[in-house]
Amino acid sequence: MGQGVHVVELPGVGTRYDVDLGSAEDRVSVVVRSGGTRDLYVFTKGSADPTAVLELSEEQARKLAAVLSATFYEG
Amino acid sequence: MHADLVGLGAALLLAGLVARGARRVGLPSVPCYMLVGILLGPGTPGPVLIENPDDLALLASLGLVLLLFHLGVEFPLDQVVGGGRRLFLAAACYIGLNITAGLLFGFALGWGAAEALVVAGALGISSSAIATKLLIELRRLANAETPVILGIIVIEDLFLAFYLALLSPVLSDSDTAGELVRDIAVSFGFLVLLFAVARWGARAVGALVGSREDELLVVVTIGLVVLVAGLAEDVGVSDAIGALMIGLVISRTRFRERVEKMVLPLRDVLATVFFVAFGLTIDVGDLGGVAVPAVIAVCLTVLTNVSAGIVGARLFGFNQRGAANIGLTVLARGEFSLILATLAIAAGLDARIGPFVALYVLLLAVIAPLLASGSRFLARVMPDRLLRSNWSYVREETISTSCTHLDQIKVTDTEAQACEACRVLGDDWVQLRLCTSCGHVGCCDDSPHQHSRRHAAEARHPVIQSAEPGEDWRFCFVDDTLVRAPMGSARRAKGSGSASGPGPGPGSG
Repeated sequence: MGQGVHVVELPGVGTRYDVDLGSAEDRVSVVVRSGGTRDLYVFTKGSADPTAVLELSEEQARKLAAVLSATFYEG
Repeated sequence: MHADLVGLGAALLLAGLVARGARRVGLPSVPCYMLVGILLGPGTPGPVLIENPDDLALLASLGLVLLLFHLGVEFPLDQVVGGGRRLFLAAACYIGLNITAGLLFGFALGWGAAEALVVAGALGISSSAIATKLLIELRRLANAETPVILGIIVIEDLFLAFYLALLSPVLSDSDTAGELVRDIAVSFGFLVLLFAVARWGARAVGALVGSREDELLVVVTIGLVVLVAGLAEDVGVSDAIGALMIGLVISRTRFRERVEKMVLPLRDVLATVFFVAFGLTIDVGDLGGVAVPAVIAVCLTVLTNVSAGIVGARLFGFNQRGAANIGLTVLARGEFSLILATLAIAAGLDARIGPFVALYVLLLAVIAPLLASGSRFLARVMPDRLLRSNWSYVREETISTSCTHLDQIKVTDTEAQACEACRVLGDDWVQLRLCTSCGHVGCCDDSPHQHSRRHAAEARHPVIQSAEPGEDWRFCFVDDTLVRAPMGSARRAKGSGSASGPGPGPGSG
């Protein structure tokens, strides 16, 4: 993967992508489970425990990804 | 032909409803199925749904076969092999500690040698399904120690195959030592044969089971699985290993994902029948007699797991949190313990094994999630010297690096602007690297002489840091990994300290 994305294999679960947001305090981890479910872990304020965890279905993840990557917008 | 559909249906429905209630409060489902079996079985006063547990024998053994088949199909072989030597070492420590403690405990019970082997397996092999669910529920998938925990339980599953191969000849009624050795040889020969099929024959097996239609694929596959499991049983290896190994074979074919998905619901239902059927054989009156050993076994399991957690954390350079999480997440026992107990009952071993394993699994079912979610309390009292003494930010660090040489980082700044070795030779270099152990500055791997790497090999200094302005990344030659900046407050304080260093100029320091 590109710079600042660290890939970790989670045997039996799937693959985890740790996204470095350029600060010691904030980071985002995405777990892509082999079944297709995605878990979005958000860490802020340097906390050891995630501030928020979202479990997204494949469809929901795609929707979110489209908005984040700005391929979707309403004119 | 008469089938007791009412009893079976009611038992499944109840098992499912009880498990649903338990899942709401975070308890695992497998022990619930067993509990329903115990409560509604002939051995317990009150309503009896199924008079004769043998009525379920065929469905239950299908459940066992599919349980292990699915385990084999979804076995992430590549991820485990890619996990590296250290992961195997951690898993070996974990399994070794648990099995040894279980074996000693089994012999201490005095029920017999074969019984001790069963007890060792039942105590030593954790439930991968329960541990994986726990990690997801406790929102720990992003933790540093999670890949290690998952790696350990997956390797444990593989170990189960070998343990079953060792156990089934012991459980069979071979009279002499010679026969026993021959049976064990047959058993392992069968394992090797199926490993060979998995390695080289996957294409042929794929051609046999493969079909575009889901219906045909699942019918042929299940037929093959049950046949191989039955043949395994016939040659004196247990059906469980046959199923597991054919699962590994199928996992090497291109139908892996479809088979995995389609067999899953079938497995869930029939495995539930297996767990209920195991519960049916338990007489609730027998549980009292094995209460003391079961409680001791639970304490022993907690103790060996925490020790294994500390060993694993030391190997990977984790902090207290990591150690406590490794130790307390893999506590739960479930399907494998029940499988071993079933094998023991079928082989006619000491009758106390059934109730003992049942009670042990039930106790851990309640205790394990509680301990896992409260692991931070254990982390707080764990002394530093158990892990790494030279660590300055052990407690705060949340993402650990996979490099274990952080304690050798002594120099983090240099004024050198040239690779001396290259200058002597009169050659050019691309970039400069600083050895964090002694301050040696050499040229990078893209440079013709790679003096930095040479120095690391000769002086046995593991970690280098970029000496280019504005870069602060580090690389460990021994672990062959980028050393990630540990995140957390301690790092930040340090980072801002060194960042302010160059600002006022060298004179102020």
